[in-house]
Amino acid sequence: MYITDLRAISPQATFDAGGLQDHPTSHSGNKYNAQEPDYAGLIAPILLRRMGKSIRMGIGAGLPLIQNQRNIDAIIIGSSEGGLEDCIKFLNQIVLYKEGTLTPTNFVQSTPNALAGSLALMSRNTCYNITHVHKGNAFENALIDAMLLFEEGKADTILAGNVEEISDYNFNIETLAGQFKVEDSTSENLLESGTPGTVCGEGASMFILKDKADDYLARIVDVAQISYPTEEEILGLIMDTLKKNNLRPEDIDTLILGKSGDSHTDVWYTAVNRKLFQEQSIFTFKDLVGEYPTSIAFATYLAACLISGRNIGWKLILPPKPIKHILIYNHYKGVQHGLILMSI
Amino acid sequence: MDKAELILNLKKQIIQYVNILDYKPDQIGDDLPLFGPDGLGLDSIDALELSVMLEREYDIKLTNPAEARKIFVSVNSIAEYIISTKSSE
Amino acid sequence: MTKNIYITGFGCISPIGLNADENLRSLRSGQDGIGRSLNLQSRYSELKLFGEVKADTNSLGAPIYFHQIPGLTRTDLLAFTAFNEAIQHSKLTPEEISSHDTAFISASTVGGMCLTDELYADANFLSAGSEFVHSYSGAAHTLQIAKFFGMKGFTNTINTACSSSSNAIMMGMRLIRSGRFKRAIVGGAESMAKYTINGFNSLQILSENKCKPFDIHRDGLNLGEGSAYVVLESEEVCSHKPHLGRIIGAGNSNDTFHPSSLSENAVGVTKCMELALMDAHILPSDINYINAHGTGTQNNDQTELVGFANIFPVIPPFSSTKSYTGHTLGASGALEAIYCIFSLIHNELYPNLHTVDPVPGYCESLITHFTPEVKLDCVMSNSYGFGGNCTSLLFAKS
Repeated sequence: MYITDLRAISPQATFDAGGLQDHPTSHSGNKYNAQEPDYAGLIAPILLRRMGKSIRMGIGAGLPLIQNQRNIDAIIIGSSEGGLEDCIKFLNQIVLYKEGTLTPTNFVQSTPNALAGSLALMSRNTCYNITHVHKGNAFENALIDAMLLFEEGKADTILAGNVEEISDYNFNIETLAGQFKVEDSTSENLLESGTPGTVCGEGASMFILKDKADDYLARIVDVAQISYPTEEEILGLIMDTLKKNNLRPEDIDTLILGKSGDSHTDVWYTAVNRKLFQEQSIFTFKDLVGEYPTSIAFATYLAACLISGRNIGWKLILPPKPIKHILIYNHYKGVQHGLILMSI
Repeated sequence: MDKAELILNLKKQIIQYVNILDYKPDQIGDDLPLFGPDGLGLDSIDALELSVMLEREYDIKLTNPAEARKIFVSVNSIAEYIISTKSSE
Repeated sequence: MTKNIYITGFGCISPIGLNADENLRSLRSGQDGIGRSLNLQSRYSELKLFGEVKADTNSLGAPIYFHQIPGLTRTDLLAFTAFNEAIQHSKLTPEEISSHDTAFISASTVGGMCLTDELYADANFLSAGSEFVHSYSGAAHTLQIAKFFGMKGFTNTINTACSSSSNAIMMGMRLIRSGRFKRAIVGGAESMAKYTINGFNSLQILSENKCKPFDIHRDGLNLGEGSAYVVLESEEVCSHKPHLGRIIGAGNSNDTFHPSSLSENAVGVTKCMELALMDAHILPSDINYINAHGTGTQNNDQTELVGFANIFPVIPPFSSTKSYTGHTLGASGALEAIYCIFSLIHNELYPNLHTVDPVPGYCESLITHFTPEVKLDCVMSNSYGFGGNCTSLLFAKS
């Protein structure tokens, strides 16, 4: 399937990438917050007032894409958690008011499918509308769902994307779970820190996918995912996926790896890099946008910009050889692993 | 409570409870319909938010949804309901 | 011609039974599972009526605690219970369960947030970190099961609110049809939580009485809990097994009306049924029974009846089994799918309980008594969720 249009709201200046900066935005500390646009003009105030950050970012990135298409046959979102800020607000209301009369807005907006529902509502789209919440593989599963719809002949054009937000809820819980760095780090030294833990990111990346297209930005050739694998199984999955698409490791010229700077889990990337891909150009993205369950959506955005030469917001340093095939390999906490194979 | 003062307070509270923070109290007319396309454009979830407002701010608990629809017509109608409820207590 | 996809096993735990057999017995005897909550620590435990699974969390966990897995929630335990029954019913071998040819798609709305108080403490840094810090997300139960059974195929979790597990079933069917997988274990799990109870209460749609779907005096829903999983298999891998039924089609649509209520003219409700019928290549007149969403709220039931009238020149027999179980949210689609399969296996229909004055003009075919010895070939099961999500599933005799 083909990516014909895309938009992202991320910790980088990806939205309205009019001005081209020399370098990506540098972040420090454990929260890489999204650079949100001014939504006035994108979202009516009467609707915007209820939207938490995740829905806002998802609508902000997704709705203009829908509006530029004549027809959309499906809206498919991958989001591990949806509106966590609404969730914790409602949770805190339950305790504060001792389960008394509570305001329903936070509850309704906290359901992870509120974004897909709002996109449908705002674009009057009655088509297939699904939200995959499978944590670290939610975005991969959204793409697989889109591939199925194309194969079934039930869609020509699909909006697929992800959203995740930083809230006190996930930040505090993940901190207790030891997910983040104890010491301070910056975008520049995150990946080489050699210490446990990573940083928390957020964002929404949205894509218009088409089954057939003459004019397109990049092609998504295949998507695969696996949970709780061994190293052998990951290497096997990569080889199987390449073979299925008549490719060998040496045909891949560019790798995008989900390195997060967490010394416990970056070993997966080192192994894949060392055992299968030694000559390839390597790009990373968590130093740009932080770690979150559906961050592979941003890697897909980066890959599409690398392949198409589309302005991502800063000057990408391209490898000397032209890019033909990109393999994205990412995992979330070493538990859920995903592959996205992209081509020109 | 003085009705004019009550109406001003209500407008401020409505702005908070239904989260229309870009509104100023004087932009909401006393008799402006709160619901529907010709007024403020609130919906059924807002009606529930307004019920919560009555309970938390005025200690008035609405139990009958049909009754709520009659009360939440405009700021004026809410003010009248509050005054009549408080005076009968 | 697409291959047949058979149901070769199922398992469920619900307010009307701790396994599939107990559920069937209750359905036949008209015994609902709605009452006061015994397990839930909430001020509403005594005020509202619920469809609670009649087992405390410790006894649910007994078969699994043995393995000393930390951080298991009630949602996880309900899921394990139903999943275990389903794979045993289908006689799946450990190799088949962990095979790359097997997909596992689950669903939940509350997920691990059933531990509302622990979550509050962890999320607000009021604790040093409970054993549940990895347990709260919607996908936690799916990952626990995938890990426990060493599942190496596709795994997924869907959350489209109350239609979640219907969409899990739909995706399992589509993955098998595509040829990517030979088998899919599909369903969902939901446990009652202070979080959801207060949420539905804030929308003023929780009833203090046993819910009476499609009654003119219906006054809201009863929240319930449970879990249900169905094993779907492509015909080439299950020729040696009993075929309990087939899944023949599914449709999903968005109502595009409101975040938490359905449109008067039933846009999404109508379209999802249309899409399911087109998907299965059958006509409305082929449907012999509808397991309605039928939550018992004014808005849902009225819209659903309008949807039926839009599609069916003559509305087929229908009922809402939520009158037995309450609304089990993320588990409801899969649970009601199993009830539909019971109907197909045993040629009988289970009634809509508690309804005294059915909505006039629509409810001539509302099933109000247990009805044995009916001829059934094809049945429909509908689910609608917040965010306008509407799903219709179609099942047929093998």
